[in-house]
Amino acid sequence: MSRFRTIVVGFDGSPDSQAALRWAAQMSGAVGARLRIVHAVGLLEHAGLLHEHATVHRETALRVAEDAGAPAADVEWTVVDGDPCSALLRSIAAPDPADLLVVGSRGSAAHGGTLLGSTSLEVAEHSNVPVTIVPASYGRA
Amino acid sequence: MTLIVAGPTGTVAHDGGAFHPEQQSRMFAVMGGVRDLGLGDEIVCPPTPKAEMDDLARVHSLSYLNELEAFCAEGGGDIDPDTYARVDSWNAARRAAGAGLAALGALDERGEGVAFVPVRPPGHHAERGRAMGFCLINNVAVAASSLTARGERVLIVDWDVHHGNGTQSIFWDDPDVLYVSTHQSPLFPGTGAAIEVGGPGAVGLTVNIPLPAGATGDVVRSAIDHVARPTIEEFAPDWVLVSCGFDAHRADPLGELALSSGDFAELSRLVSEFVPRPGRLALFLEGGYERAALQESVAATLGALLAVPTDLAAPTYGGPGMSEIRSAASDRHRAMERMRSLISSEELGA
Repeated sequence: MSRFRTIVVGFDGSPDSQAALRWAAQMSGAVGARLRIVHAVGLLEHAGLLHEHATVHRETALRVAEDAGAPAADVEWTVVDGDPCSALLRSIAAPDPADLLVVGSRGSAAHGGTLLGSTSLEVAEHSNVPVTIVPASYGRA
Repeated sequence: MTLIVAGPTGTVAHDGGAFHPEQQSRMFAVMGGVRDLGLGDEIVCPPTPKAEMDDLARVHSLSYLNELEAFCAEGGGDIDPDTYARVDSWNAARRAAGAGLAALGALDERGEGVAFVPVRPPGHHAERGRAMGFCLINNVAVAASSLTARGERVLIVDWDVHHGNGTQSIFWDDPDVLYVSTHQSPLFPGTGAAIEVGGPGAVGLTVNIPLPAGATGDVVRSAIDHVARPTIEEFAPDWVLVSCGFDAHRADPLGELALSSGDFAELSRLVSEFVPRPGRLALFLEGGYERAALQESVAATLGALLAVPTDLAAPTYGGPGMSEIRSAASDRHRAMERMRSLISSEELGA
């Protein structure tokens, strides 16, 4: 059995998160792992104040995963209440722990090179499983 | 009884855009609610200087504070999909935290009255090293820590529709702070389960009562009365601070609880029963985004505490949540037993 049973990837619809999903889908195919796509729902999205919502993101995410070769049966879409960093850290923890966390290098809110506004740097700092950070340019045609 | 109003503070420049509900214009509704009390010159408004770095560093890491200051100085930006900072946000956040300290100072000086702290950005989601949920600095935590630093015990009641993850995590293992939260679940920020009862040094001093969408005022009051009251009475606080978000109102766009302005009046009366003596109650504005509901609820809350009649809607009854309260009580009890047994087995093994 593969050491990597579950891979979690954060997805907010941004180009970076789509690239991260492409990479994670390829990795899940390569090692035979389940791919859990996690979308964090914050205050504004819950209130319908953002342009795109979980249902739109779900369609995009499943299409990107399929195009990258992840078997549909191994792909799981999960919506988690919280800010992206906390939601991802909770998603890799028990009772259904992950073996690898994949994130885009910049989420939809990222700025500069500081920890503030950078989900990837924050989760890399706090994650207890390996983290792979993927730039938006990865796998772009 | 005197009403002390430490605020309104904030800046129009701390602005997330026209679509963002957490705006300085919320203060028109909040202060409209204060005006509706008809107290005129009887209201005391202390000066509200910015909190000093030492005050903030009791609850936030220095690295986070330095980074936030630098981030704002460089122009700021979006921190996450909900939370932003602008050039003036660092000063606005320090002023908001300072207003809470000023409110406590005014209560101390007078030895009577109730304080209201209408400030923004709000605070209860801000963690020791992280901004989130519109919050940069945890205002109620800064205030509470100033009290525990001089040896006092603080009860924080958080009736915002969202769980105050920041306040909970800051005081998780602090035996001098009892944190009680009623909140909608599931909902942002995804924390606040009944089994979260505090750390090894403060077992039972976090009380979470998650409630389903549609819960009415009688359910929220019952949650505090039946689940939290025994712990509060045993804890015997010296001070009571309230994270008074008004987004639990049935008209609020950010949540689905079903409270009316009359429920906030009832809640504030209930919470006032835990105040040990005059001049030991301060209410900190958190959420609340529907302007008419916000104004009416501010007036109802303060009016109930000051015995000033205001126009308010009738309290609400009959919503779901009573079975969740029973579950919360038993889940909480089991979690505390488990943690105490873990602690004693570790002590035996040591």
